This record gives sequence, C-alpha cells and structure tokens, in this order.
Amino acid sequence: MYQFLLTSRYLTSRIIPVLAVAAVALCVALVIVVVSVMTGFLDMVRDSGRTLMGDVVISYPVVGIPWYDDLIEEIEALPEAAAAAPLVDTIGVLRMPYPEGAGKEPKMVQIWGVDPGRFAKVTTYADTLMWPTIPEAARYYVARDRLYGPVAKSLDRQQKIAILRASGYEDTTSMSDGQVADLATALTQPEWIDHLRTVVLNSPDVIRKTLREDQLETIQSAVEAEIENDFDLEDNYREDGLTMRRNGQPGMVAGIHVSDANYRDSEGQYKIGRNGHWWLPRFQGALTTIPVDASGGTLEPETEVLPFLNEFSSGVFPVDESRVMLPIEVAQRLMHLDEAEIVDDLDPTKVVGVEPARATMILVRGQPGVEPLALRERVREAYRAFVTRVEEAHPDGPRPPREGINFGLNVLTWEEQNAAFIGPVEKERALMRTLFSIVYVVCAALVLAIFWAIVYEKTRDIGILRSIGASRPGIVWIFMLYGLVVGVVGAFFGLLLGWLVTSNVNGIHDMLAEPPEWLAWGLAVATAIMFFWTVIKLFGGRILPVVLGVMGTLVLGVFTTLIFLLDAQGGLVIWDPAVYYFTEVPNDIDVPEAIITMIGAVIFSLVGAAIPAARAADIDPVRALRYE
Amino acid sequence: MSESSPLLEARNLYKTYRMGTVDVPVLRGSSIHMEPGEWVAILGASGSGKSTLLHLLGGLDTPDSGEIRFKGELISSHVRGARNRYRNRDVGFVFQFYHLLPELNVLENTLLPGLVGAGIRGDRKRARELLEAFGLDHRLTHRPRELSGGERQRVAIARALLNGPEILLADEPTGNLDAETGQEILDLLKREHEAGLGIMMVTHDRSIAALADRTVVLQQGQVVPDESPVSH
Repeated sequence: MYQFLLTSRYLTSRIIPVLAVAAVALCVALVIVVVSVMTGFLDMVRDSGRTLMGDVVISYPVVGIPWYDDLIEEIEALPEAAAAAPLVDTIGVLRMPYPEGAGKEPKMVQIWGVDPGRFAKVTTYADTLMWPTIPEAARYYVARDRLYGPVAKSLDRQQKIAILRASGYEDTTSMSDGQVADLATALTQPEWIDHLRTVVLNSPDVIRKTLREDQLETIQSAVEAEIENDFDLEDNYREDGLTMRRNGQPGMVAGIHVSDANYRDSEGQYKIGRNGHWWLPRFQGALTTIPVDASGGTLEPETEVLPFLNEFSSGVFPVDESRVMLPIEVAQRLMHLDEAEIVDDLDPTKVVGVEPARATMILVRGQPGVEPLALRERVREAYRAFVTRVEEAHPDGPRPPREGINFGLNVLTWEEQNAAFIGPVEKERALMRTLFSIVYVVCAALVLAIFWAIVYEKTRDIGILRSIGASRPGIVWIFMLYGLVVGVVGAFFGLLLGWLVTSNVNGIHDMLAEPPEWLAWGLAVATAIMFFWTVIKLFGGRILPVVLGVMGTLVLGVFTTLIFLLDAQGGLVIWDPAVYYFTEVPNDIDVPEAIITMIGAVIFSLVGAAIPAARAADIDPVRALRYE
Repeated sequence: MSESSPLLEARNLYKTYRMGTVDVPVLRGSSIHMEPGEWVAILGASGSGKSTLLHLLGGLDTPDSGEIRFKGELISSHVRGARNRYRNRDVGFVFQFYHLLPELNVLENTLLPGLVGAGIRGDRKRARELLEAFGLDHRLTHRPRELSGGERQRVAIARALLNGPEILLADEPTGNLDAETGQEILDLLKREHEAGLGIMMVTHDRSIAALADRTVVLQQGQVVPDESPVSH
C-alpha cells in the first residue's frame, strides 16, 4: 500500500514527526513515572503489612488476652494459617546513650515484646536486621570496648573518681567527690572506656597509683593488643538480633532511625554518627514504661536496662524511627502482663491461683494464596472456639475478651487495621490518574497541531495523489497510519524514558538532594560556551542561531543557578521519608498501567491525527495542484 | 464525425469559480471530443480556462453542468470510487511543474499509480521498462530534487503512463523547460502517440500545438476550431 511507503518516508525525512514522537513520548513517560511511583508506594504500603505484621491481627490493647498460647494453638490448627505469634505492644521512654556526659537524651518509643522465633515466622523480621556483622566504621570502637571493657567494668567508686579527675573531663576539679561519683554513674560503659584509655595513654602515673595489680596487668595487655592490632573481633550480632538475647540475657533491637546518630547519605547508605562511634549495639539503654492495671489505673513506672543487640530496617519510616523490639517476657514484665500468682487477701503466703501471662496482639500469617479476608473469618472462628475452650478449662480464671462485649477487641486484616493510612493513598492515586488523564488530551492536541502543519505542508502531495487516482479514504489512511506510527513509536520511547527515569528515581532524587559539584561546574562551563557561541553568531548575520543561542544560554544558566542554589541550601528533598513513610522512592514500572498508558497514547494520537486527516481528504485536488 | 461514440467527449460544460465574493465564469458551454489515439491540442491564453477544462476531462473536478463521457460512459456522474479508478487507469496527468513527490525516489514516484490502484504489488517491471525507455535507468534511486527539469518531466510522464491509460492529459508539459529540453519531451510524446497513445494537451504555444493531429482554441469559455491554416 502506498500509505506505508509514504508514512515511512514522511517519518524519516522530516523533523516535524520527530517532534510529534517526542511529544507523545514525553506524555507517556510522564504518566508512567507518576503512576508507577504512586502504585509502587501503594504496593510498599501493602507489602509492609506482611513484612511487619502478617496478614491478620487480633488485638486487645493494654489489658491483653490471657492464655494466648491456647489461642495460637487454635489458630495454627487452621489449614489457612501458616503461623501465629504473640506480641505485647506498648509505649515507653528510652534513654539513649548520647550525647556524651551525664545528660542523656530520652526518646519516646513504641515497644514490641515478641517471641523472636514465632515472630520471625509471621513477619520477615530476619530480613530486616541491619548488622550481620560489625560495620567497618565501628570495628575500631568495638575492639576498644572488648580490650578495655573488663577493667572499665571493674572500677570501684574511688578509682572512678580518680580517673575522671585525671582525664580532664568537664570541670571535675571544682566538684566534690560525691558530685564526681554521681557523674560517674551517669556515664555509659563505652564512655568509661574512653576515659580510662585517655588516662592510660596520658597519665600513666595516675593509672599506676589508682589501679590494682590485676587491673594493671589487664590494661597492659590491652594496650599491647591495641598497638599490635592483635585482637579477636568475632561476633554474633545477627544471632543476637534474631534471638533477642546476648549470652542468655535479653536485649533490644531498635529501628534504624531510633538512634538519631544514624543517617542516610546521598547514596542511600546508612552512616553512623561520629565515624562509627555511635554504633548502637555498643551501648545499652534504659527503657521505662508506666504499667496500667486492668481498670486503667497507672502503677509505678518500671525500668529495664537492656543492651542494644542489633538494629532493624523495615523501610517504613515511622516504624524504623520509633520501634524497639525485645523479648515478650521483658515487655510483659514492664507492663505487668506477666504470669503472676494470686494470693489470698488475708494471708499473702497462700497462693490461691495463677494470673496468666497476656499478649496484647496476636499476629497471624496466612498460607500462600489465602486471601486475608478469608483468613480473617477463619481466625474469628478460631477465636470463638478459643474463648469457649478457655472458659471451660478455667471457669474461675480471668475471661478472655469477647466479641460484642469487649469493644477494644479487634480481628482485622492488616489493610483494615491501617485503613486510615491506606485509604488516602488509594484515593490519591485515583486522583493522580484522573488528573494525568489530561495529559492524553495534551498528547492529542499536540499531535493535532503538528499534523495540521504536516497536512498544510503536504497539500500539493495530496493533490498529486488524488490526480493519480487516490481516493479520499486513501488520503485519510495516510495520516491515520502516520498517527498510528507516531503514537506507537512515541509510546515505545515513552516507555523507555519512563522506565529509565523510574528505575533511576532514587539516584535522581539523591542527586537533587545533594547535587554533585561536577554537575554544577559542568553546567556553568556549558553556559559559558553557549554564551560565547551566541556572541560569535551575533556577527553571523542570521537570526535563528542567535535566538537558539540566547535560549540555550538562558536555559543552561537557569539550571546552573538552580543547582548552585540547591547546593547552597542543602539540596531538595521531595521524597521526605517522614512524609512518605518509606526511605526509598518506589522504582518499579507498573506494567499493566504502563500498557494502558501506551494504548491510551496510541488512541489519542489517532484522535489527534483524525481531524487533520479528514481535512487532508477534503482538500480540493485542483486547488492543491495550483498551490505552488 | 463517425457514428460510434468518441473515446472522450465533453458537452456543454459550465464551470464558475468563486473568487472572494465575485463569481468568475470560466467555462461557458465548452464542448470537445477526441477519438482513440488522437492528439488534440487546446490553445488558449493564460486564464482562458484550459487547465480547468483538462481537470474536468480528467475527473479531477466536476462541472457545474454539462456532461463528460469516456467510451460512452458518463464520468461526471460516476460514483466516487469509479472516478478514482478512471483517474488511475484510463487517463494520466502530466503537469507543467512535474508534481513529483519529493520524499520518493524516481522508481517509487513512477510506481505510485500502480500502488494506488493495484495495492501492494505495483508493477515494478513496467515502471523500470518505462524509465529505461525514457533514458532514466541510471536515476532510479534518485530523489526528484537531484534531477534536471527535463528528467523530472520524463519521470512524470512515466508515472502517467504506468497503468497504461488511453489518454494522456498534459497541462503545458514544456512550459517550465528550455526550448531544447522541451523539444526532447515533445519528441517523447510524439513517440508515445505514434505507439497509439491519445493525448489531450493544453498549451499557449502555437508551434507546440502544431504537433497535434487537431487543434482547438478555448476563448471566452467556449471551444472553437482553430482558424489558423495549420491543421491536421
């Protein structure tokens, strides 16, 4: 067909169709990038449910559910359920190890007491652990902790006072011994190691006078080991994080942003404050909670000092910023939800019963392929069976909360639990999609305008074709085929561009957040070259190169200025993790949406081409031929 | 005049063009006919409506009134498809300004009526033969802008003849060429005419019209026999 021949020739020998293809490509790329990021965001929200909480959650806050092991047994008997895990959820205040000195920063945290083994089966906890081993930056500090730790720990009150005075720390000379001793108790173990080491290196006589013989020996070998770089840094930080225990003692695993000393650099790498000094697993923290009794009254605050074992990164910013995980029995102790004996009111030595341990949440993970809603129904049934079973087994004991009576009891899917959060995201995506549909109209309008120009330019060709017998529909076909090819080629390039931008969106974002200097200077040089080129062209006698030169100089100049400005004010952070919950911008192409967008672009290219095509067919061939 | 109907016959054609708000009558009852294989020259001053008459005869335009018959069939009332076929197969246009498509090469330009009419196949063999006969075989893949005026007009004639029409409608075919090149084109037409091609040629040049079997003059919108002594 001559339409194919003409379309291919028109496409390859003109600049105008290139503009049309570029216009369509830009429209398609725009929609693909925006919708992919939005969909990716929504998917991340949904996936994080499984990552962090499993599929279905039974919750009864504060008071908790007694005999929860029976409930888990009941749930795990369901063919739809893969695993279930108990959890105690509360809030508390965590005393952070920083800053240096006596006044430490407290931080409000969400405490999750979990059974590490069962928790890992329900969630992907194991994959979120941050430190499989000691990070490079922290190795030096960990080595020092190991070498000087035993002595630092064995110091008595007088020794501590002497060392603090000798280390030149704060203004200890004007303090009484009592004040110095108070200060000493506030310092963390790694701080003690610092002071001890300073005094060992700078005032050996003080050390010789202060330390006992056995301590001196240990210090001597520690100094030698440090000098010769001869020490053993084997570690089980991952294992500690998984079991939430170190040497049998419970500890904490904090979200990566709980410690404000951790930050992400522009390459997306986590950095530890003061070159590794503030690596959290070196330290311990004091966790304080206010337990509440069954009727809502507050009890005396409880405090536990626990070592940090590891850190986790779920990718969900509010979680990583506030959650601290620890063994469930510690959380139960902190909240008075642990098993307790019930004693006789008149004779406290007489045990009359046992108050069972409680869990405020049960997380359930479904078997692969089971719909969360179906699972939820089965879990509700299991819960009812559990209530009946417990009431028969313990007629006098505390009753588990019941549906319809204890309104705080909820059995919900993760999506329902977080509907207030997911709902707006879904609405936002629908809104974005609607708004960006306007892009199609823009696409059609651009194709229309460009094709109008092409038809105008090709008027004579149309007359010639008619004179050799081409029909009106034949002429329409030329331009529809042309529109189709422009649409398809444009959509393809749009997909390519959209894919390039989307898959590099984090790199682009980080570049905006911290524009590299070479980019700014490169642009500055390009601006200068463009400017001189324009000046030279000014004497060339033609206007187009000058206009292009001025425009190019202006565009480059504006970009250069913007980049320098961004550099000066510390970059542009669009994807603020505090707003968007996730630390990374989603970067997967939404394939179905991309296909719909591409089809839409082709259809609207055809719509845009239809009007000029019809106009072309209606051109009077006699006039067209006279047109010279 | 013979009893059998002529190859092409136009009767009492009227055509008025609207220029702005003024109606300009171009043809006022023109009648013309040609026999198979005849070469008819239409003489006329510029603006006399020669081109309009040719466009009407070629089915490119429709008259306000009057009728045009090809082999006895009324083409002015043809349905569209039939008229497109008529332009594609039965007649071939040659214009003063060649009217080649700039994006297509010589062979493709020549093939175009074949592609338009027959679809995908297009008669490449015939196109090559024609171009070879016109001395363009070394120019097949050249673009029109790379050719001289004479070469372009030869390509245009090859295109017009591709589908083997019985009538060539030529509108001042040498009007844009120097005398020597124009003569080459006329020689070419003469050869084709001798081979049996009917030619309806519009010109304002009496010496060119002299090559025709018969010359008519278009004046004041009417076709009258040429009164000059030179006749067929």
